[in-house]
Amino acid sequence: MQLDFATNLLNLLPMNVLVLMLLVPLVGALFAYLLGSKGARAITLIITTLELGLAGLLIIGTPSLGSDPGGMSHTVSYMLARLGTDSTAPVFEIILGVDGISMVMILLSNLVVWIAAIGSNHIKESQGLYYTFFLVLQTGLLGVFMSLDLIGFFIFWELVLIPMFFIIGRWGEEGCRHASIKFFIYTHLGSAVMLVGFFYLYFMSSMFDINGVATQVPTFSMIALRDLGLDPWIQIGFALAIFMGAGVKLPVFPLHNWLPWAHVKAPTPGSVILAGILLKMGGYAFIRLGLWMVPDAIARLAIPFAIVAIFTCIYAAFTAMAQTDMKSLVAYTSINHMSWVLLGVAAYAAGAGSSDPTIQAAANLAIQGSIFMMFSHGTIISVMFIVAGQLKYNAGTREIPKIKGLMEKAPKLSAVLIIASLAAFGLPGFSGFIAEALIIFGAIVVYNWSALIGFGIFVTVGYMLWMLNRIVFSDPDAESENPITEASWSDLVAPILMLIPVILLGVWPDLVLDFVKPVIDAMLAGGSP
Amino acid sequence: MLQLDAIAESLRLLLTPLSDLILTYVPTEWIMSLPAITLVLFGMIALVVGMRYNPLGISFIGVILAIFEMLMFDPRVMSGYSFGTLFVRDAFSDFFMYIVLIVAILVLLSSTLWGGDKGAYNFLLLISFAGALWVIMATDLVALFLAWEIMSTPTYILVALGPRREAIDGATKYFVMGLLATMLMLFGIALTFGVTGTTELSVLSEYVNTLWASPVGNEPAAYTLLLAMVLFLVSFGFKVGIFPGWQWVPDAYASADGSVTAYLAGGSKKTGVSALLRILMVGFFFARIEWAPLIAGVAILTMIIGNVLALAQKDIMKMLAYSSIAMMGYLFIGVAAANEIGMAAAGFHAFTHAIMKTAAFILIWAMSFKLTKRITYDDLAGLSKRAPAAAAMFAILMLSLAGMPLTVGFWSKLVLFQSAVVAGMWWLALIGLLNSVFSLGYYLRVLKFTYMEEPKDDSKLNLPMIPMVTVAICVIAVIALFIFPNVILDYAFEAAQLFFP
Repeated sequence: MQLDFATNLLNLLPMNVLVLMLLVPLVGALFAYLLGSKGARAITLIITTLELGLAGLLIIGTPSLGSDPGGMSHTVSYMLARLGTDSTAPVFEIILGVDGISMVMILLSNLVVWIAAIGSNHIKESQGLYYTFFLVLQTGLLGVFMSLDLIGFFIFWELVLIPMFFIIGRWGEEGCRHASIKFFIYTHLGSAVMLVGFFYLYFMSSMFDINGVATQVPTFSMIALRDLGLDPWIQIGFALAIFMGAGVKLPVFPLHNWLPWAHVKAPTPGSVILAGILLKMGGYAFIRLGLWMVPDAIARLAIPFAIVAIFTCIYAAFTAMAQTDMKSLVAYTSINHMSWVLLGVAAYAAGAGSSDPTIQAAANLAIQGSIFMMFSHGTIISVMFIVAGQLKYNAGTREIPKIKGLMEKAPKLSAVLIIASLAAFGLPGFSGFIAEALIIFGAIVVYNWSALIGFGIFVTVGYMLWMLNRIVFSDPDAESENPITEASWSDLVAPILMLIPVILLGVWPDLVLDFVKPVIDAMLAGGSP
Repeated sequence: MLQLDAIAESLRLLLTPLSDLILTYVPTEWIMSLPAITLVLFGMIALVVGMRYNPLGISFIGVILAIFEMLMFDPRVMSGYSFGTLFVRDAFSDFFMYIVLIVAILVLLSSTLWGGDKGAYNFLLLISFAGALWVIMATDLVALFLAWEIMSTPTYILVALGPRREAIDGATKYFVMGLLATMLMLFGIALTFGVTGTTELSVLSEYVNTLWASPVGNEPAAYTLLLAMVLFLVSFGFKVGIFPGWQWVPDAYASADGSVTAYLAGGSKKTGVSALLRILMVGFFFARIEWAPLIAGVAILTMIIGNVLALAQKDIMKMLAYSSIAMMGYLFIGVAAANEIGMAAAGFHAFTHAIMKTAAFILIWAMSFKLTKRITYDDLAGLSKRAPAAAAMFAILMLSLAGMPLTVGFWSKLVLFQSAVVAGMWWLALIGLLNSVFSLGYYLRVLKFTYMEEPKDDSKLNLPMIPMVTVAICVIAVIALFIFPNVILDYAFEAAQLFFP
């Protein structure tokens, strides 16, 4: 899907649209810092709206599979450092470029950041600093989805941590400092292992011949690395490193420990961005660095990945059921849903190499589902977190057993919460259903035992309805020390706006999938030049 | 053509009359040592002037003149040797000499706060700077030893001159350990001379080459030389603060006055690095296979010791001192890799560490001076409200030390780890990275206290102007070098290529 007027508008921009999208928030951050609490919020709203507009323009004005190498569009590169004094020395550079998958993720990031900016209305302390960090965070997030080389990817990946660390630790609630440090160290540890993987691949990209003599200039460029056709055993070492880095972010079972802490203690907009985009960075890394770059390795690791994914899904569902804090419950829902992404990745990897067209088609479905799951989960979980955070203001607490009779006292807030919960457990008509259906339809054909994840759906429905039962449909407690009040419209704007894509994508999933399909077809066909 | 050469060239043109004048009157033998000689001269003038007036201006003129002399006499167009072949200026020594001179300027700027008005203080600092330059230039073990003493002896006194009582304590520890190191160094030189009959590094290199080519029958000589090499590693490593000679570092750093600490961490430490690099890469170049694993072990132990002990500190100065030990551990990853990237990475890391640590020490020293107490984490609480600019600068420095993007610390660590991977030591890079993650434990604690804790008293903290400007220059450099790392990295590579012709 490509519209001519959008393409023309993109061509009219004074610089490369990707560079522009990275620079605008940085400049905005500077202004936000200088203006302080007086104008920072206004400038942030303007910038994030502008960014959302640019992302929309980008996605409708750019072909999913562009003409640049690797099927990319708007490719631009900037050399950061040259290791040596002559011109043949290896270089560190940032290469930017987008294809359909990246553009979908960029649109999601800008959407979630925009909603989080609107939902930041309860941040009153040190506003200038808050919005500065907020906008720097946006640059980092966009950069991750645009980078086409490992060093640039790593820089943006790490850049995200710094503002997020401050946002959690400074504006969070009781215990947030500990949570922020845990978040930083946990994710940094994952990235460090991933960086060793990057170096390993870089080293191996010299393509040593039998005598150990390098035949190529080593490179960090993803496209070049993909086209090299590295030995599968080399790829597996790299894929395990990716699993550490991206698995912490996603998160999967043994690496998920930081997530409930960070999500619960962060301020509401922080939680929204954490769950809405940071987790997707993990999924995106699995797809871009894994499936797209080293498909052979992921294919060999598919069975363990699928088992980990299914286990994580069921485990997180049960853990979520045991939570009494509303935000904590929503945090575990994220783990629960993001494990679907990993299942889709594993199913694609296992099925893509098959010569049977049925299995190939199933793999295609599964990966479409993974990407759709990231998008839909990003939208749904934003609503859930905003509502969960709102409970603190309107019910005085987020403890599920203490909130009673929300429906009678706060019908508007309840309505939003109900719709979001229904969408989260995948009721048909909402985007969550389409995502889960696509993944499971694909995965079952590849691995019939992956139907076990259906048990995860079952538990998810259970705890969601139980939560609704306790909070929304219970009788109001007259003696409660925290009287429940209705949320004001200014608090409800953000979640209601975010419900639009949730419902829209539930009835018209091709709105997102059309951008992704050409890329996946090209990947299945063995990669485009 | 490197990036700063154009500026150097224009300055050189501008200074032509002066350089012609000097070339007419000064013996050719002295020309290349002229920066160091100038510093000695101005040190003496400062001592005399310091009896009546504030001599800090004299010191500044001396250091700036030394920089000009560095620029005027380019070792690429004239012979780099001075005093026979005892001292040499080449790409490698120039790189480290500029580090020392830049640190010298920063230290003098920070001395305006305390100590800079005394003649003896200026004299000792300038003599030590001169010694540092000679250490870097030395190509002969005896000359190296003499220069080493010229550099070290004043610093013992400078540490003891610190404003607090515990300075004597730190200085004593430093002095005793320093004497031990000196003795070991002499022993190493004696062993080398006994075996090879020379103290000149280039001759030693040829000897090692022939010895390693036919070791059979000559094992005693080879083992004695290796023992001498280990002794050099220990004795120079003492100044650098690596395993096993790191114990004096926290005491001396935390008790001396901050400007001297900044010099110890930023300047004299780097001379140890450069001397060690020259001995290993020139003298023992052909014994690389033997020393590379040894250095790797030293690097690992140093990183772990520095990081674990830094985590246990409450005093910020001590924390920075231990973190500086850990940083030297990272630097020696590059040395252990013993390839061109590794040497360049070590040099680049020496440079970035010099600016980051000098700035951090100056900043904490200024705070400590203002509050008249040692700075602990509790004193940093709420610094972002009491002194926003200082808090932001300190946060950037900490992130840079931790190796996060948008600061130059990211590049210096990245290149170091890459050098290890290129040398086939991916496990060393992994250990370095894990240490780097571990170090977040104390760097983030600083950020937590400055930005997330509430201050105990809300009053504004007005920090002295000139040290803050000094720190600000360093912080700007830290960020600018992230965007343009090649400005320095190219010179580091040029220096490294000297060893790999």
